[in-house]
Amino acid sequence: MTRFYRLLFISAVLTVFTTSLAAQLPDCPLRPKPGGPLVNPPDVFSQNGVLSAAFTMRSSFDAEGYLHVCYNYDSSSTGRVEAPTLRVNPGDQLMLQLTNRLIYNPPAPPRGQARRPVMTMPARGTSNDPCTGGTMVATSTNVHFHGLNIPPKCHQDEVIQTDIENTDPPFEYSVQIPKNDSPGMFWYHPHLHGFATVQVNGGAPGALIVGGMEKVKPQVGGLPERVFVIRQQFTDPNKWLGGTNQLTINYHQAIAPLGASPIITMKPEAKEFWRVANASNQAFLALQVQFGTAPQPLELIALDGIPVTNSTMVTTIQLPPAGRAEFIVQGPPSNTAASFWQSGVDTGPIGNANPAQLLATIETSANAQEPPALPPAPTTPETSPQRFAGLATVTPTTQRKLYFAEATNGSAGPTEFFIALEGQTPKVFNVDEPPSITTKVGAVEDWTIENRTGEDHAFHIHQVHFLFLAVNGVPLKDQELRDTVIVPYWDGKSPYPSVKVRMDFRDPEIAGTFVYHCHVLDHEDGGMMEKIKVEP
Amino acid sequence: MRHLLNSIPAIFRTLRVAARQVSLSGVIVAVALLPSISPAQQTPQRYVVTADDETADLTNTATFYSIGLGGGLTPVATTASGGAGSAGGYFAAVRVSVLHNAQADCAFVGNGASNTVGAFVVQTQTLAGSFFGSGTDSGGTVGVGLATNDTYLYVGFGGSNTIGTFAVEPGCALAFIGDTSVLGLNGGTITGLAARGNMLVVTYGDGSIESFNISQGMPLSNGDAQNSTGSVNDHIPNGVDITSDGHYAIFGDASTVTTVEVSDISSGKLSPTIVYNVGTAWNSAGVWLSPDETMLYISNSSGGQVTAAFFDKATGTVTRGCVSPRLNGFYNGWVYAGRVGTSLPTGTGSVLYVPEFGGPSSVGVVNVQVSNGKCTLTEASGSPVSDPSSSALISIGVYPARPF
Repeated sequence: MTRFYRLLFISAVLTVFTTSLAAQLPDCPLRPKPGGPLVNPPDVFSQNGVLSAAFTMRSSFDAEGYLHVCYNYDSSSTGRVEAPTLRVNPGDQLMLQLTNRLIYNPPAPPRGQARRPVMTMPARGTSNDPCTGGTMVATSTNVHFHGLNIPPKCHQDEVIQTDIENTDPPFEYSVQIPKNDSPGMFWYHPHLHGFATVQVNGGAPGALIVGGMEKVKPQVGGLPERVFVIRQQFTDPNKWLGGTNQLTINYHQAIAPLGASPIITMKPEAKEFWRVANASNQAFLALQVQFGTAPQPLELIALDGIPVTNSTMVTTIQLPPAGRAEFIVQGPPSNTAASFWQSGVDTGPIGNANPAQLLATIETSANAQEPPALPPAPTTPETSPQRFAGLATVTPTTQRKLYFAEATNGSAGPTEFFIALEGQTPKVFNVDEPPSITTKVGAVEDWTIENRTGEDHAFHIHQVHFLFLAVNGVPLKDQELRDTVIVPYWDGKSPYPSVKVRMDFRDPEIAGTFVYHCHVLDHEDGGMMEKIKVEP
Repeated sequence: MRHLLNSIPAIFRTLRVAARQVSLSGVIVAVALLPSISPAQQTPQRYVVTADDETADLTNTATFYSIGLGGGLTPVATTASGGAGSAGGYFAAVRVSVLHNAQADCAFVGNGASNTVGAFVVQTQTLAGSFFGSGTDSGGTVGVGLATNDTYLYVGFGGSNTIGTFAVEPGCALAFIGDTSVLGLNGGTITGLAARGNMLVVTYGDGSIESFNISQGMPLSNGDAQNSTGSVNDHIPNGVDITSDGHYAIFGDASTVTTVEVSDISSGKLSPTIVYNVGTAWNSAGVWLSPDETMLYISNSSGGQVTAAFFDKATGTVTRGCVSPRLNGFYNGWVYAGRVGTSLPTGTGSVLYVPEFGGPSSVGVVNVQVSNGKCTLTEASGSPVSDPSSSALISIGVYPARPF
């Protein structure tokens, strides 16, 4: 064979090999280029009381070096999409089949893990059941249905032991949406300890909406509904203080003025119902709709998936990582410059940068194609007894004090992150350690949570909402049910800032062991998480 | 191509030799200009030397402050250190090491980003040279840490996890001898190191510690790598100091309270550490014994305070002493404190200097009073003193150094 033909042959073999390799490579759908109209994520609706969907989790790097981690969903109508909005109604069954096929190498070791042996869940039994744990590696995953008040059981909403590896067969989640739960916006995301940051950073999360809001808040009935999932991407999310990053809104990069801004087109002065999830790793958002530079009134409808008691008018909505807000926006008059902003949050002397950022430009047109109206739910949410009913007037059975703390090795880290119970030695989360708190079904507890660090934290507990009572000892005027709240940073002089919340463990459905943690995911991965056991 | 790749280390070696020769010629000039005094013959002007740790290409500096009678600081000179700093790093990483003996008055400053050590003649505040180790030595993102005895300078390179051994030569020049590769038991990188006699003690930032025999110059592991006792409770050894007689190694922990650990090293190896909880101030990464070894000073790196504990040199026990108020400017100008230095080379040291990491950085000045078994730490009026040349000050040295 001559040299020419030998090269030709090698070239042909390589072409066949790389083509077939490309066909097998895990991949995520292309994400939008900067600018362009913002549209809602694709929807998957429940039918006849059941929402059935199959996701395949995959990953890829884009041309700019951002890692994409995606829940791929194939449908006959839309083709392959990622992270669709799951729409269910109270009482529905959510059947989600998850196939994990992650094969990426994360950009860097998770923060804190270089300081100790890689943590493992208990070894799987002979049944090789993902419910029995396994080695926690970057390519393992699981799903948390954030905000749903459902049992902490494997195949439902359990994240301590559930470890789906990338060679496992499809894993079935089967979740009963409580009949007496509130309508509202929730979200789903990976929650594997040590790797939540990198997988959420990759853009995996999606929205989950429980229908029926118009029955609780009639003013939203018939309004065009927009769903915005705000994510954040880093080229290296595990790097200390994150480094360069960007927010995205429904996967459109929000990078103005460095790139074109996404566009929301509204009819002049038309009212719309906006549902916004902060699905970022660590961004504390202060949402505003501005006409010119003037923040406009927003009618607050729901926070963290629960309709607010009083629909107050506000001009800024603060959302910690994982928080959700639902509100009515009135569009600008014709020819009025308007925009949707993250107006920036000071997260403290050692907090990560949270600068102001234009999320989208709002344009008006009499012919604007509005998104569909809020789909009415077929059933009426049960009104009695609602979850968490009467919580404000219940006498708590226990008072506890917890605090956020950090032990830092240097100005560039690494850092150990703690959420500790007063009186106990702060320890980074260890799956093998017993729960920090043990209580019983029926308990109602008041927790005061202090921040003893110079940066904001976001307190979150699984399985239940809590009543947000006070900040720094001052009772809140509007005490609402939340699942994630900001615990403000300590300024180095004043008493430690604190929040006070009322925990509701009365529902026997949530008996079991689950976690509470900081929802700055880098902190959670670094150990700022503990277990609570609710005994039957 | 392979040939070219293979030749790269040789090229670097050649360049380093050339750089060293250039540096040495600078040293010769500097030495020639020096007054003909023997360093230890007269009471020298005292200085605080900062490692400004700036990262921009080759712009790292050391700032010299003269120490007044009451311990007050007056800026004297800011001198380029011949490389780029790391803009911070481990709280207890010693970026300035001061040598004061009959042969030399030197301050060595780590240039973490350019993997070199800048050597200064203290009394003239002039740079004697900037010295490379091996071609693979790298400060990485965590920079370098220094420890010295009278003969050698040990440089912990955080990126390459190597300890470079340099001989200290006349005029403060350094001659690279060789590297020792190290790694924490749990994969950690070099965090703190201290040398005394034949022992070099290292912390790794992953909870583990190790000692080395340096009687032959290059460190040779004593085979005693171990996780510290405190690491079980997530108290991670960060800084380290060693008593003058080499009996005890004292570790400052990165923690949520003030914990230090003491290991008996009189056998020539680390013994299991004993944990002492001496207060509630936040993070006790940096530790420094007073010249008379009756006090242990602890930088509460994340809490903006300094703690003084009583140290019993005979038994190695540490007991609670006192804690300073939060120092001026904490979380309002600076955010972290590095390891303290003592003003006087005798007694309790009299005054503490605290490197304060911020933009700009500053040096806190704290007065120490000890009597009748009690102590107080009071920040001096006029403290802190600004270090406008640094936005990442984490390490200072005091000249003349403590006598051990």
